[in-house]
Amino acid sequence: MPLVKVEDVSKIYKTNGIPFPALNGISFSVEKGEFLSLAGPSGSGKTTMLNLIGCLDKPTEGSIFLDDKDISAGKSSELADIRRYNIGFIFQTFNLIPILTSFENVEFPLILKGDLSREERRTLVEEILEDVGLKDLMQRKPSQLSGGQQQRVAVARALVKKPKLILADEPTANLDSKNGEEVLELMRQMNEKSGATFIFSTHDRMVMDFACRLINLKDGKIESDEKRG
Amino acid sequence: MSTLIKLAFRNIFRSKRRTLITFSAVSIGLALLVITISLMNGIDKQSISNIINCQTSHIKIFKKGYFDKKDELPMDITIKEPDRIRSLLKDIPEVVETESRILFGAGIIKGMDELPCLGVAIDPDLDPELFVIKESLIEGEWLAADDANMLVGESLAEDIGLSVGDLVTVRVITSTDKDDFSWNALDFEIKGIFDTDNPTVDSGRILIPLKQAGEGLSMESEVTEIVVRLNSDDDGVVFAARKKISEALKSQDQDLEVYTWKDLAGTFLAISKMKTRSSSMIIFIMLIIASMGIVNTMLMAVMERTREIGMLSALGMKKGEIMRLFILEGGFIGVFGSLLGCILGGLVSWYLEVYGWSMAAFGETMQKVSASVYPVEDVFYADLTLDVLITTLIFGTLISIIASFYPARKAARLNPTDALRHI
Repeated sequence: MPLVKVEDVSKIYKTNGIPFPALNGISFSVEKGEFLSLAGPSGSGKTTMLNLIGCLDKPTEGSIFLDDKDISAGKSSELADIRRYNIGFIFQTFNLIPILTSFENVEFPLILKGDLSREERRTLVEEILEDVGLKDLMQRKPSQLSGGQQQRVAVARALVKKPKLILADEPTANLDSKNGEEVLELMRQMNEKSGATFIFSTHDRMVMDFACRLINLKDGKIESDEKRG
Repeated sequence: MSTLIKLAFRNIFRSKRRTLITFSAVSIGLALLVITISLMNGIDKQSISNIINCQTSHIKIFKKGYFDKKDELPMDITIKEPDRIRSLLKDIPEVVETESRILFGAGIIKGMDELPCLGVAIDPDLDPELFVIKESLIEGEWLAADDANMLVGESLAEDIGLSVGDLVTVRVITSTDKDDFSWNALDFEIKGIFDTDNPTVDSGRILIPLKQAGEGLSMESEVTEIVVRLNSDDDGVVFAARKKISEALKSQDQDLEVYTWKDLAGTFLAISKMKTRSSSMIIFIMLIIASMGIVNTMLMAVMERTREIGMLSALGMKKGEIMRLFILEGGFIGVFGSLLGCILGGLVSWYLEVYGWSMAAFGETMQKVSASVYPVEDVFYADLTLDVLITTLIFGTLISIIASFYPARKAARLNPTDALRHI
């Protein structure tokens, strides 16, 4: 059973009443543990696709299944629950909470999940910060970290609750190539270590090279879907 | 919830200057609220005390019909055998002392001038048990029961130029009947001058011994009122005592009526009520302005943190939690602003309770205007109570929470994908 199943999904946005199709009848499946890249130029529908899989938005037509559960027609609180327990997000602009320390930012999803004691949370957060190489900086606030370090905190935040799926929207777009590569390497290590499924969008060739599977989007349609490595 | 509280608390320090301005608006608004209420309560307390101690005591007994015409000072609606009536009240536990008095219209004549005033014939032995006039003597001596002597209020004495030892002629009105209006002229020696805290009494009253009035007013064994002093100013005690007095008076055959000081101070109470209403209105408007500050601050916060709201939503935070987060932030500004407001307002009120607020600083005209409205002389004292502080604190916090509701709802309703795209 695939972890994600996208069936004939279309998404039409309306701007000032004028319909703008962002996705046009897309279908694909993602197996557990895949390290998949959604590639394509700007406006090809990558972010829209990630938003739909991430339960942040609903398709205009078609269905999306996560673990065999149809998420395309869920209520907003049900979708929030799916995000809270099953999905980790990594954003292009890091999006850490500026008033919290690295430790607190990583701990935040665990607090929302609400099933662990303070001590259990501490252990998990310290472990993951150690994995991303930032244990020494865990009391620093985002403004005291470099871009690469902030994105590592964001990776740790996405992974700490051990979600089934991690979605990353252009995770390296705001990083220089060295830091970008390091973050991608980190993501791949985590994919191998935890078995979590990664789907990330990019238009950067170097990033695509890291992916084990590459789906190319163009004008809201799948142009190619190839397995690599 | 504790995470939301922690997050909300830290968030209020993000834009320190903006928070400080909103916080100050709330604090100043609420401090003014505490000061105004304390001052109003203090003025009321002083006024009530001055009315009871200088004018009405707690309870007055009149012959039926007198109360309705009391402003005309009728001399024909009188209580007969007042001592027998007074003896009926002796056993009521709340009653401390009673006194028979005659109120009459009078005019002090000096040369070609005549100054109208209220004459009060009192029992010089009993009066100090009920009123504070004796303690308020600033010149001369207390009344001698058997002499033709008189006490006069300080402002009245000043207005007509009287001093202790002067002999004056007083025109006393012995009948106010339209068809049988009559008066008598009596000579008195000024025995003393009093200065109470009640400007109404000081500027318009003369006191003579009851015996002298009996002769001069042809009311040998009749009085217009019996005043009763109770052991407490408390409303409950006053109303309970009135009931007991009314019961006790049933055993005699005169048709008498019992009134509390509240019935007699109707004008003051009406002014007090009106003043409370108008100040509540001003305070309400002030608080609306302060709460607009909170609405504005919170809306700015929602706008600035739109992308962060999208991220919180992506992490799985529900609409209700996002809403609670922003309401908590507004609530914190409210709680701390109200706390500071209560402290500032409390300190100023405490100062005004100890040192008072003199109307003299606003000039003589203001002093006269305030004396005509309140039976309080010159200095107003605040009365700060814990319940005012607690109510203000709760009120300020609630207003802030209500004011945060709209921005919080706006934050919660943001579409996560739009919010994440926000620049």
